[in-house]
Amino acid sequence: MKYRPQALIAEVTHRCPLHCVYCSNPLVMQHRSDELSTGEWSSIFGQAADLGALQLHLTGGEPLARADLTELVRAGRSAGLYVNLISSGVGLDERRLDGLIEAGLDHIQLSFQDTEEAPANEFAGARSHALKLRVAGMIRQRRIAFTVNLVVHRRNLGRIEDVIAFAEGSGAQRLEIAHVQYYGWAFRNREALLPTREQVQRSIEVVEAARDRLKGRLRIDFVLPDYYAKYPKPCMNGWGHQQMLIDPAGRVLPCHAAPIIPGLEFHSARERLLRWIWEDSPVFSRFRDEAWMPDTCRTCDRRARDFGGCRCQAFLLTGNASATDPVCILAPSHSIVEDTLQRINSSADSGSPGWVYRLDP
Amino acid sequence: MSELTRNCVLRLAPGCRFSTAADPQDNLLLIPEGALRLKGPSRAILELCNGERPLDELVQELARRYPPEQAARIESETHAFVAQMRDRGILEVV
Repeated sequence: MKYRPQALIAEVTHRCPLHCVYCSNPLVMQHRSDELSTGEWSSIFGQAADLGALQLHLTGGEPLARADLTELVRAGRSAGLYVNLISSGVGLDERRLDGLIEAGLDHIQLSFQDTEEAPANEFAGARSHALKLRVAGMIRQRRIAFTVNLVVHRRNLGRIEDVIAFAEGSGAQRLEIAHVQYYGWAFRNREALLPTREQVQRSIEVVEAARDRLKGRLRIDFVLPDYYAKYPKPCMNGWGHQQMLIDPAGRVLPCHAAPIIPGLEFHSARERLLRWIWEDSPVFSRFRDEAWMPDTCRTCDRRARDFGGCRCQAFLLTGNASATDPVCILAPSHSIVEDTLQRINSSADSGSPGWVYRLDP
Repeated sequence: MSELTRNCVLRLAPGCRFSTAADPQDNLLLIPEGALRLKGPSRAILELCNGERPLDELVQELARRYPPEQAARIESETHAFVAQMRDRGILEVV
């Protein structure tokens, strides 16, 4: 097999105390009663390690909503995986944090919605900011890798200096400034969230200067939002190339948004071995190599770098999952993105339109 | 960020460790962002960064493993490598 899954993204629950307006979980979420058990996850982690996986990302929803999270961390580490926890921090106290570290947790990525309490709570749809600050303080006191993740969009990208200063004071070694990705719930709220061209350009300059200044102290991950890029992102580093995602009920996916694409049959880790799903199931090979590519991509020199972009975005914007990702300037459908950006950039001054909050599954 | 001094003591930063499960031939260092494939003497250098040994001693220890005429090159390349790893957040000064 030419490809091996280097990372397993385990969405251990869709339950979450936050209701972020840009939530990346699917519109239809899995219920608690359908969630995989501790034993089922342990078996999955072992199978993933056998397939060559190195990294385990425990995410959700909010992984801390699972009472057995410490056992899941221990199971991942026992399988030989590097264990990352991607969390809002809600549900973490000192004892639980010590238990997670003792069980082998390698790295915590703590999400913030803003640097200021009022907008942070507004974007999260929950009063969580003050609690997150306390959690950051607890993490800082322990010897564990710590990344602050802050999602940016039109309402806060203009304050990116504050974001960087906030991360500097947090004790984190890394700052991930993540642009909203427009899938799932975020796609519904896209008109209110897409930044302006001016904000994006300025943010790049600010981040570059900060990277220089903070070298060796704080690493900053920040990429151009794909709507404003010339070429598409190498989504998941290629469909079925390096990563697999398992949803709370055990459905194995090439990426979290893939179920929006019609006509794909997904398999459950409850019923099939991961190796069969990765190597032999039609869904993982559907967009894996180049046979599916439209002429624009198949004849393009960049096809081994960006793999034609994101299949889910192609479907969301054009209705055709096999189209070139419309964010690409070479895509026949690129005008869809240009029109959206023109609308955003000409109307953004007139105030943000309202947004819709999501509820728990 | 300041230059590393000759007597500074380095160790792997939190969240950075050698892979134990993968094929040993892979020679991987696991880090929060993924994994680094260690080539040439880079693994030996990182293993010598044990939080106790000053950089000068580390260089001497490494130099013992190679012919004496390479000593100057080993020193300059080791200094450059550990500085790069420090800047990437993989090594920290104790």
